[in-house]
Amino acid sequence: MSIKLEKVVEKFYESLEEGKILGRKCCSCGAVEFPPVYACNECGCWDMEWVEIDGEAEMHSIVLPAALSSKPEYKPLGKYAYGEIVLKEGSRFNGVVRGITKKNRAELAAKLPVKVKADIYQRDGYKTVVFDLVED
Amino acid sequence: MNKNMNQTTLHPYSRSVSIIGVGCTPFMYTVDNPETNGLTEGELFGYAALKAMEDAGVTPKDVDYYFHGEASPLNGSNYLTPNIQIGNWFGMKGKGSIHHSEACCTGYLAIEQAVNAVASGKYNCVLTGAVEFGDSVPAPFGPSDTVETPKHPYKREKMPMERFLATTMWLYDRNYARSFIAPMNLIYDDVAEDYVRTRGISMQEMDDTLNWMAINNRRNAAKNPLALERKEFSEIAREKGFDNVMDYMRSPYNPKMGDLLRMEGMERKCDGAAACIVCATDMIPQIAKNLKHKPIEVLGIGSAACEATNPHFEIRATEEAVRQVYELTKVKPEELDLFFANDFIITSHLYAAEVAGYLPYGEGWKYICEGRTAYDGDKPINTNGGRTSFGHAHAASGLADVYEACMQMRGECGERQVKKLPKTTMLRGYGGSQNVAAIIIRTVD
Repeated sequence: MSIKLEKVVEKFYESLEEGKILGRKCCSCGAVEFPPVYACNECGCWDMEWVEIDGEAEMHSIVLPAALSSKPEYKPLGKYAYGEIVLKEGSRFNGVVRGITKKNRAELAAKLPVKVKADIYQRDGYKTVVFDLVED
Repeated sequence: MNKNMNQTTLHPYSRSVSIIGVGCTPFMYTVDNPETNGLTEGELFGYAALKAMEDAGVTPKDVDYYFHGEASPLNGSNYLTPNIQIGNWFGMKGKGSIHHSEACCTGYLAIEQAVNAVASGKYNCVLTGAVEFGDSVPAPFGPSDTVETPKHPYKREKMPMERFLATTMWLYDRNYARSFIAPMNLIYDDVAEDYVRTRGISMQEMDDTLNWMAINNRRNAAKNPLALERKEFSEIAREKGFDNVMDYMRSPYNPKMGDLLRMEGMERKCDGAAACIVCATDMIPQIAKNLKHKPIEVLGIGSAACEATNPHFEIRATEEAVRQVYELTKVKPEELDLFFANDFIITSHLYAAEVAGYLPYGEGWKYICEGRTAYDGDKPINTNGGRTSFGHAHAASGLADVYEACMQMRGECGERQVKKLPKTTMLRGYGGSQNVAAIIIRTVD
C-alpha cells in the first residue's frame, strides 16, 4: 500500500470530540502507535489502520509536578502526576495520571506498575487524553 | 531492545579527522557588565573562530568551509540565517557555510557535522562554531522600535526568565507533546526518578547526590577563568551563616524547583561562543605547519534522537548513542580518562556517566558524593564547571566542552588540570527535546 497524505492529527482530535481515543495499528506486525503517526516504529511498515484504544493501561513511573513543571492552566486536573504509560495495546508514552498526591505517592511507587484508565479531558479549546488511577 | 527504539550501525570514517584548534569566549551575562554590554553576535562568534584558528596555527585562508550553530537565532538576534549575517567577521567572506540548530545539543552535533564533512573528503579543513545570546535579546530603543524588529544596531536587554521559558515550549511537538502535558514537564525529574527506582537509593540520597553534583561543578568552575559562576558553595554557605555546605544546599536558599531537582541543579543561561578547527589528520603537516600541540582525533560519534512523548527519552537516546560509538570504536569504558555531559538538568551528569560505564552502575552517586568526580578526583566530570556553573550559552555549550576536553588532554588547564593527563575522553551531548550525541576523542601520539 502506498503512503497517503492524510490528516492523522485532525482525525485523532476530532475523534476525541466524539468520545473515541484512536491509535494506528501496523498491518504487518500488529504494533499500535499511540499517539497515531504514519509509520510503524517497530517494523517500519507504513500500511497502518485506525484502531480504537481500549483505555486500559499501566503507569510505570511517578513524577509529581512542581514549580518548574506545573502551570496555573493545569489546576483543573486536580491532583496528578506525570509518568510512563503503557497501554494494553503495547504503546508507551509520557502521560498525566490523576489521583496521585504527595500522600499516596510512596505507596504507589512501591507497587509499580499500577493500573490506570484513559479519560478524555477538556483543555482550553480542545480535548486531550489523561488517565485516572484504577483502585484495587 | 527497548520498544520503539530503532538502532543504527555506524561505519568507520573514510579518513581520520582531528581537532587541531579550539577557541572559547568567557561565558557571561553580557548586558550586566559595562565591558561586555554591547557585544554582538559577529564579535562573539568571530572571536571564538579566530582564537581556534590561532590555536591551530592556521589562517582563514586555510579553512575551506564553516558550520554555524545557534539554538534560537530568531529569538536571540532576530536572525534567520545567522551563518550569513555574521559571515564577514573572521576572514572567510564568500566561503561556503551552513547554519544548524539542535538546541542545547547544537555544539556537540557541530563536531559531528564538521567531522563528516572532512571525513568524506570534500573538505580538508573546516571551522565549526556556535554562538548564543541566552541571557539577552535585541531590545527596542525609542518609540518607533518593536521587539520583533528593533532598529538599534547593537543594543540589547536582559532576557527575563518568563520570556526564555516561553520559548522553550518551541522545543516540543505542538501536535501531541504539548497537548499531553507530561512530555514537556518530565524533562526536569524523569532521570532522577528513574535512578531512585532502578538503583534502589532513597529520595534523601538522591537529594544529596544532586547537591554534590552542583558543589563539584562549582569547585571546577572556581578554577576556570572562562566560567560564569566562580564562588564556591562552601564560601557562599559561610557568608549565609551555615557551618556546613550541605545544610546550605538543603536550605530554602536552594529551593526545590522540581519534584527532586533543586535550583542549583539547573542551568545558568548566559551568552557565549566557542569554535573548533577540524582537519584531515594526514593533511595536518601541510595545512597546519605551525601547530604547537598534539592533534586530537575524533574516533567516532554515536547519535540518537528520542522525541519527548517517549518515556525516559534522555536515557533511551543516551543508551543508543553510547552503544553505537563503543561498537564502532571498540573503545572500552575503562579506557575513558575524562567525561563530559551536558548537564543543564544536573542529573544528566550522573546518569550519562553510568550509561557510558565511566562510573559503575548503581555506584555513581557514591563517587559524586565522595567528590571523586571533581577535577581533582579520580573520575573527573565536567572539569569546566558544567552548565550549572560554567554556564549555558545553549548552542555554544557543547563546543565549550570540546574546548575544555582538548585543553585538559593537552595539559593546559593550570589549576584545574586533572591528575592524570587524559588520553581518551567521552562527551555526551543532549538537547532539543531530545538529540543525543556520544563523542569519543583521543590524543594522537
